[in-house]
Amino acid sequence: MKLTRRKLVAGTALAALATQFPVRMALAQDKQVLFSFPQDFTKIYTFVTSEYSQGQRDYISLVNGRGGINGYKIVAEVSDHANDQPRAIEAYERAKSQGAVLIDPLSTPVARALVPRVLEDKINMITAFSGRSDAADGTVFPYVLPMSPNYWTQAGLLVDYFKQQDGGSLQGKTICFVHIDTPFGKEPLPIFENLAAREGFTFKAFPYTPPGNDQSAIWPQVRRARPDWTVFWGAAVGQTVALTEAVRNGLDMSRVSSSVWLSESDMDVVGRDQTVGVMKVEPCASGRDPKVIQDILAEVVGKGQGAGPEDKVGTSYYNYGVMMAALMLEGVRRATEIAPDGPVTGDWLNAGLTSITDFTAEGLIPPTTVTPEDHQGGGMGRIARWNGEKFEPATDWYQANQDVVWEQIHKYSAEFKATGK
Amino acid sequence: MFFRRAGISHTRYQQERQLWPLPIDRLTVLAVLAFLIAAPFILDRLYIVSYLLPLIIWSSAALGLNLLMGGAGQIHLGYGAVIGIGAYTAVHMMRAGIPFELAMIGGGLAAGAIGIVFGASALRIKGLYLAMATLAMQYIVDFVIVQFPAISGGSQASLQVPPVSFLGFPIQGDRTPYYVALFICAMITLFMLNVRRTSFGRALVAIREKDYAASIIGVDPFRYKLLAFWVSSFVGGLMGAVLATCYYRAISPDQFHLDLSIQLVAMVIVGGLGSVLGVFFGVSLILFAPILLNQTIALVADTTGLTLPMDLRAHLPLMLYGGLIMGFLLLEPLGLAKIYSNIRNYFLVWPFRHSRQ
Repeated sequence: MKLTRRKLVAGTALAALATQFPVRMALAQDKQVLFSFPQDFTKIYTFVTSEYSQGQRDYISLVNGRGGINGYKIVAEVSDHANDQPRAIEAYERAKSQGAVLIDPLSTPVARALVPRVLEDKINMITAFSGRSDAADGTVFPYVLPMSPNYWTQAGLLVDYFKQQDGGSLQGKTICFVHIDTPFGKEPLPIFENLAAREGFTFKAFPYTPPGNDQSAIWPQVRRARPDWTVFWGAAVGQTVALTEAVRNGLDMSRVSSSVWLSESDMDVVGRDQTVGVMKVEPCASGRDPKVIQDILAEVVGKGQGAGPEDKVGTSYYNYGVMMAALMLEGVRRATEIAPDGPVTGDWLNAGLTSITDFTAEGLIPPTTVTPEDHQGGGMGRIARWNGEKFEPATDWYQANQDVVWEQIHKYSAEFKATGK
Repeated sequence: MFFRRAGISHTRYQQERQLWPLPIDRLTVLAVLAFLIAAPFILDRLYIVSYLLPLIIWSSAALGLNLLMGGAGQIHLGYGAVIGIGAYTAVHMMRAGIPFELAMIGGGLAAGAIGIVFGASALRIKGLYLAMATLAMQYIVDFVIVQFPAISGGSQASLQVPPVSFLGFPIQGDRTPYYVALFICAMITLFMLNVRRTSFGRALVAIREKDYAASIIGVDPFRYKLLAFWVSSFVGGLMGAVLATCYYRAISPDQFHLDLSIQLVAMVIVGGLGSVLGVFFGVSLILFAPILLNQTIALVADTTGLTLPMDLRAHLPLMLYGGLIMGFLLLEPLGLAKIYSNIRNYFLVWPFRHSRQ
């Protein structure tokens, strides 16, 4: 067949029309809870999305395979928004038309853009490790739920761990903070600055230009600053480049740390043996040991129903996905307890999500309690160290410096309240 | 037949010079306008808020770029930044209590003022060099917005648009933002259709063809190049304000990055440089092809029971999208507007094959 202009135009128009008929096919049926997961599979967050999404879908398959939650089945619509806001808004509005009660965009720009809409439409938006940190204040953001330690909390946890390691005092120490020069990278600055004043350490920030694939000018300066502790803060390629430069500049790996965005595959890039000792914040256990992961391996992946390659099961980001899906489904379970007959609405699920109490997902996550006021879920985490094979927990679940964190949360949420609608 | 030209004889110059001299064209325009006005009542709200609304906003903005690129022949790779300047200026003005109508103009003026400064480089350089200079504008504006919390809105870098109204109608819900954007889009479209028939528009064409030839026939390149940048930046800034108020409702720096600039340049080129109608086609293709292709793939996979890995399922539409753009440009280098005009020309003489021009 010869491709002519006419065929191309007609074919494109036909395909465009054909996709529009089934818009409402997925309309909510009885006893079904519709989640929408438009995420970025193709642009910026690709390094995490496929594993995260795999974990989410596997956990949902696990629960559905066991008969759902008190008679309700969970349906997850996964799509790609490529971190493009018009596409994400389209996905969101489509999900809303289909009756979705929860959306998880896993993207900071998209989450920020959707905030006004979800508040108006009363649809729960999960902003785990993304979006606005001040959304932890549930009184101002009733339908935005991070349900995970935000970046301010992660910075607070790290400083507290450094203090424990240095014998209870950081007086006279130097902490260097190497970060990507974007709003995301600059976010923890106020926490470090406040804690520097309180604990008496010297704080030095070193911004690098996004996307961060060349940081060779920054790290010698970090070395010259003779840091006692170094924290690097970025995402995607910036993380592995930062770690490579840290190794090259001879920093003591056991005194270098990052946020939650560090995974096994980053270690493969930099070198498994060169990075022994490097630390990260863990919001949930990694590896295949937790019971939930074992169950998934036996009941989902074992039966050939896994959502992706089996060797990704149990990686850090996979477990983040399981963690968030477990929290969402615990919210559904609580909601079915509060109002067993629904109707399934955003408010119905919101009541469930904000009454999660001491939920641990059978040992996968720290005890998490979400309340209508605290959407962060308590802000517990732990520090893990890379041992060449896997991330090994260096502490137990703990909570630290939440007073400083909440000071920031209230500051910005009050600002939002004053100028928002 | 429907498009018949026979029997339509213009007896006055005004008739000949109308925007749409053929009755069928006028009817088409009226029908499209009537459809757009009635759309919120006959279409599902999903199509209004996530298809028609972005389509008319992006088209209006791309029309501004089209005036500069297609009209005056000056390439601009920083148009996203221009829109950003307008959006940030307008949102800050609205947060200070200034009404939307004025804030919109203010956004346009600020974008025009900054746009003209970078446009001034067009007085010395052309083509790829101008592309680099405007690219620099994109990065400088991005940098300034991110580095000054007073502009970007603190560490969350997100600014909410306060509740505002346009000529007494509060901009909220699904329909009012759509009608506000439609009204402004109609104004800009009329302006762009008419500007080609003014001395200003003809001067721009002269500049586009050869700037020193233009100056020999008495068109001042200094004045008209700067004016072209000013007008196009003004439209961009204005649409930035509309984009922020009617569509995004909260703005953050990443909405106005290089991606947006490239997207707009692609829209103008795929649509057909210099064509007003082409811009609308180009915007539809660039904005919606990825969404529709994704849905097609998902639909095919779901109905045939084909289990594609999620990565492939997400990347396949991208490949098709690239193929589609290449296909359109290969088969019709003059853009989508030319395809429309081919169809129209065919029907003008239908059922015959040719007409004597």
